[in-house]
Amino acid sequence: MSPRGLCAAAGVEWSKLVAQLKARIVLAACVVGPFVFAAAMRVQSSVPSDTLFGRSVTESGFAVPLVVLGFAALWVFPVVTSIVGGDIFSAEDRYGTWGTVLTRSRTRAEIFAGKVLTALCFSSAAVVALALSSVAAGLLVIGPQPLIDLSGILLPPDEALVRVALAWASVLPPAFAFTALAVLASVATRNSAAGIGLPVVAGLTMQLSTLVDGPDAIRRLLPTSAFGAWHGLLTEPSYYGPTLHGTIVSGLYLVVCLAVAYRMLLRSDIGG
Amino acid sequence: MRGRMMRKAARGALAAVAIAPVFGCGPSPITSTRIETSIETTFANLVELQVSRLRLPPMRASNFGVTAACRKQAAASNAGAGDWVCALVWQGPDRRMLRDTYDLFVTTDGCYAANLEGETFGGPTLKASDGTDVRNLLYTFEGCFDVSASGDEPD
Repeated sequence: MSPRGLCAAAGVEWSKLVAQLKARIVLAACVVGPFVFAAAMRVQSSVPSDTLFGRSVTESGFAVPLVVLGFAALWVFPVVTSIVGGDIFSAEDRYGTWGTVLTRSRTRAEIFAGKVLTALCFSSAAVVALALSSVAAGLLVIGPQPLIDLSGILLPPDEALVRVALAWASVLPPAFAFTALAVLASVATRNSAAGIGLPVVAGLTMQLSTLVDGPDAIRRLLPTSAFGAWHGLLTEPSYYGPTLHGTIVSGLYLVVCLAVAYRMLLRSDIGG
Repeated sequence: MRGRMMRKAARGALAAVAIAPVFGCGPSPITSTRIETSIETTFANLVELQVSRLRLPPMRASNFGVTAACRKQAAASNAGAGDWVCALVWQGPDRRMLRDTYDLFVTTDGCYAANLEGETFGGPTLKASDGTDVRNLLYTFEGCFDVSASGDEPD
């Protein structure tokens, strides 16, 4: 696999992706959604009090991206990361285009790496878009007031902004893990509905299982635990164990899922 | 070929599920000591903030001397996620010893929501000395503690 071949494959995949309506709709929803949420919070009296920072959402604009982050961890991240990752391989089966993709000038390894890179880039773009939009919505609609953290300390705006940025950065590894899970589902089933649906169902099941007071080791083995690791970044003193652990677990999911998917692709009976 | 790989993957997943409980049979990291330490700190910081918001003479969090005693509701073991009750004893701004009780719901990741039993601090909103309405930070609040750190044994 050559870097030039990888760049060529990724470039083609990216150009195919940006031409798709679904990708534009997802990114647009990531940008618009937080503004709709912040505006709704501004005009109504009730707040999402059952969510961390929900009670602060009308008092500090920095609470908005944290509430959005809490909501997104439940099902938005698995959906957003699977929409491209779960379809990027199976779409070739659906349209019967493997024969045209696997030309002699590009190896399966380059095609695989190009598609995975594109899916990971899209997941990053969606998370970053949601993060920036949430922060902008909070600051523009609610305002840059200080934020009370999870230890009862009042964080000044600049400190709150740093913590919010770190919290959003901490969900990138599990987002990549779900992208890899979707890629695996897409390659294994050759079906886009399964490629997108299976990781979402898996994510929801994992989230539900964390509600049960079962063995802590099982909870830590799930990539969904990493979606909530940011709570430790909003306490005094901050603790980083869950973030570190979640990043390692997410990395393992990423490597294992992609390795299995790659072997499946190499052995699959597709054209080219 | 694909079926064989799927069977291998399924076997691997089953093995992981079978092995995981072996490593997870240790005591729950959610203990009364950890909850008490966390709620004492958070409550004291919030009282300091509340005093400031109500435009009362400023006091430091350490001056309130908060001590908490927490126990799990309706459970044989005093550890794990679920419903807890915490009794907080602290020194008020007028130097009187006060006692308040909170109902906690603790989640498996070590975060909790604390709701005051009764109305000892007033309702959800309070009037500041200048007449403005402020949210009562002590009526209901949230906190989190580290469940990944090695520490105290369950009691």
